[in-house]
Parts: sequence; C-alpha cells; structure tokens
Amino acid sequence: MILQSLFSFAFIIYLFYAQRIQAMTMLRQIETSLRKVKSLRDDGRKIAIEAIKKFGKPERDPTPQVERFMDHFMIPPINMDPSGVVQKLGKIINVREFTFEREVAQMAPEATPAQRNNLENLLEAGLALNIFYKVIRHYYLMGKKTMNIYVIMQIHMILPQLIQQIEAYSAALQAFRDGIPIGDTVGPIVAAKLLDGAEVYEVAKEMAAGEIDYEGRRIIITKAWGPGGSVGKPGDAIRNILDKEKGKVKMLITVDAAGKLEGEGVGEIAEGVGAAIGGPGVEKYKIELAATEYEVPMFAVAIKQGMEHVVAPLVEELMDATDKAVSSVKGMILEYSEEGDTVIVAGIGNTVGVAQ
Amino acid sequence: MRLMADEGNARPLASGASQNLVSLVLMVVVGAIAMVSLYMGFQEYGNNEIETAFMYILIGVSGFAAIGFNFFRAKPVAKQTKGPKVVEVVTTLECPQCNLKRVRAHQVGDYIFKKDEPCTRCEGNMVITRINARKDPKDKKN
Repeated sequence: MILQSLFSFAFIIYLFYAQRIQAMTMLRQIETSLRKVKSLRDDGRKIAIEAIKKFGKPERDPTPQVERFMDHFMIPPINMDPSGVVQKLGKIINVREFTFEREVAQMAPEATPAQRNNLENLLEAGLALNIFYKVIRHYYLMGKKTMNIYVIMQIHMILPQLIQQIEAYSAALQAFRDGIPIGDTVGPIVAAKLLDGAEVYEVAKEMAAGEIDYEGRRIIITKAWGPGGSVGKPGDAIRNILDKEKGKVKMLITVDAAGKLEGEGVGEIAEGVGAAIGGPGVEKYKIELAATEYEVPMFAVAIKQGMEHVVAPLVEELMDATDKAVSSVKGMILEYSEEGDTVIVAGIGNTVGVAQ
Repeated sequence: MRLMADEGNARPLASGASQNLVSLVLMVVVGAIAMVSLYMGFQEYGNNEIETAFMYILIGVSGFAAIGFNFFRAKPVAKQTKGPKVVEVVTTLECPQCNLKRVRAHQVGDYIFKKDEPCTRCEGNMVITRINARKDPKDKKN
C-alpha cells in the first residue's frame, strides 16, 4: 500500500515536473562542459602570455594587451546588396590582419618574423577559445535565468560538436607555441616536397613561388611563406602567376586539407575539380575569378582529416599522406597535360613549421 | 540543485568541493536505501511474497544504477583540471648523402626542410624531413 502510494506520487511529480527535471539535468551537463572550456580558455591565455614573454622579450607585462586582444572582433560587411561583398570582406580581413600584425609587433618586439606569425596564430586560437566560452556561458546563464527548455536545448544539442572544436583549438596552442606543423599544413608540405629545394621568390604577400621541370612540363609551385604560421594570399599568388604567364597555363591544381566524413580514414586522398581552399571565401573567389578569366581548368587534391586534426599537431597518418598526395598531383599532371605545358600547383593551408 | 555561479569574473566558476560533498552524501543515502530495499526484497522473496519482493529488488537495483550513473557522469569533471592536451612530437632527420635517418624529440625552432645538424656518418648536413605527433597507444579511433 505504502509502495503503491509512493509510486503514484512519483508518477504525479514526474508528470508535472518532467520538463524541469530534464532542463536541470541538461544545465548540469552544460555546466560541466563550461567548466572545462573555461579551464582551456584560461590555459590558452596563459600559454600566449608566456610565449610572448619568451620570444618577444617585452619591456612591460603584455597581459593587459593580451586581455584586450581576446575580445577583438570583426564585423562582416552587409550582404543585403551582395554586389562587391567579397571585395568588402577582403578589405576588412586585410585590416584585421594588419591590426594583428601591429599588436603582435608591439607585444613581442624581439620576436623573429616566423615567431611573430606563430604568436599571431597562438593569439587567434586563444581568441577563438574565449569566444566559444562566452557563447556557451551566454546560453547557460540565459537558460538558468529563464529555465526555458528550448533555450537550454539549443546549446545542449550542439555541445558535442562545440567541445570537439574547442579541444582542437586547445591542441593548436602547443602547435603554434612550438612551431609544429598542424593538420592544415599538409597542402604546404606537398608544395614544399614538389619544390624540392628549388629557388623561390615572393609572388604575393607572404606567398612563395618556385619552378621545377617535371617530365618536360614546367611546374610553377606556390605556397605560403614558411616556416612561420601563415596562410598567405594564395588568390593573389595565382592571379600574379597567371598574369605573368599571360594565361598560358594548362591546368591549376590546388592541394588542401578537407574534412572527412565519419567512416573515412585519416589521410585518405581524393581527387576532384574546382578550387580546394577553405576560409572565409575571399581567396577562393580570387582563384576562381582568375582561372575563369584565363580559362584555366581547376583540379583539386584533398587530404581527408577530422575536425580534431586540422589545427592539432600533425599526426603520422597525415604526414604519410603527403607522399601519396605528391604522387596524386604528379599523376594528374601526366594525365591532363602534355610536354611543354605550364602547370600551376598551389599548396593551400597554414605553413607553420614548414619551409620551402 | 546547486548550479554554477559565474555571473562575475571575480567569483569562482562553481563551488566544486561542496558540490562533490553533496553528491557524496546523496550517494551514501541512496546506497543505504538501496541496500535496505534489496535486503527486504530477498526477505519477502523468502516469504513467497513475489510481487512485493520484485518491487523492493527493483528499488534496490535502481538505487545502485543511479549511483553508477553518477560516478560515470562525474568522470569528466575530474578530468577538467588536466589542462590542454599535450602530445609528444618527434622530428625525423635524414642525411641526403648517406641516407642516415635519426628520430629525436621535437625542439623549438625545428621546421621541415631545415638543414639542421652535421651527419654523424659522413660530411653532409642532416635535413629535417618529418615532424609529427607520436601516436597515442590509448587512442584507437581515427
């Protein structure tokens, strides 16, 4: 009898408070994750400050500047009138890069250009962690305040993906502090392997280019200028090369890291067409525009990797995959071009820890 | 339920210690009730009161399952103090003349295609050909 009454009471309680209990459970889970994210954010900030002190040897403590930097933001251009939006976005990105360069130069006056590039990337990773933390905290506090299950569910549902990205950015701290190649570096490694020590020149801002001869073809290879962490301006580099060659180019091959689907192996190589390049889209636009203008067919080689690999120190499988990608590029050149042709190969990605 | 108090930066994110103590006390209470329920369940079973015995045993098992779940959920909280994951990174050097290969721990300043140190076998200079994270034997997934 007592048991039956207890069960009936529990059932009634559950009937009225099920959603609240669920909301409280979800809030607890978000809280646990938030505590972890806060710890990673704080570590990121600490690592950045330590690296600036170590490499930059500043006269005064860089902590206030780093704190200020962590709240830096970029307002994208209005897209109600899409005409010219890419150029506007490109301009804003250029200003952002200029600001970052100036800030880092002030914070770390003694650092070498490569170290400054790495510090910029390190601060960007710290900034990303700070934004993740603030967004999760915003939804957590709003959910706690309103106890609205739909507000709480919004963040709870995407929390696993967010945590994956946060862990990736956290792994990037070690890579950018110590100048270790990351998953995204596969493109520049392929380009550097093809260059094989050939003489290089600066073809665009932070972009190196060099020429090799392969089976009677003239191959112009471009990649970001290393070994500091930089993605350069591959769009400008390809435009300058095409202008210089007056469009007499048989094919353009872009090599880049690409996101893998669950079930696909890390380091799998896929061949396709189009411009293999990520980011906000400005450089991709420039490449597509230049290639279309000169009617150059675009081919692409993608090196598959998970979200957790992109900014984390390069894993063995991806290092091995760069050799396969080199073979793939060579195979494409032999298949789609003839002796005497000129071919452009662009290694896209961050070149941290890779020279040319 | 005690929730996080992080509205201001000066305040701690969560009162972790007291929260753990509350959880611990709660688990002890639930454990005691579950134990008594199980004991009573077996006693009722001995008296051939099958339905009542089933109820008691169900409560007992549920109590232990709840404790187990709480332990499982508490695991990531314990891990959070470890900080960012640091992986072991190795640098591979090769001599272009005699093909001697050497693997050592990564040092700050290493980069791929850097002419690094003199070859120990011939007159040549060793070149860094690979820098990669060493595989974590515990990490089975790709």
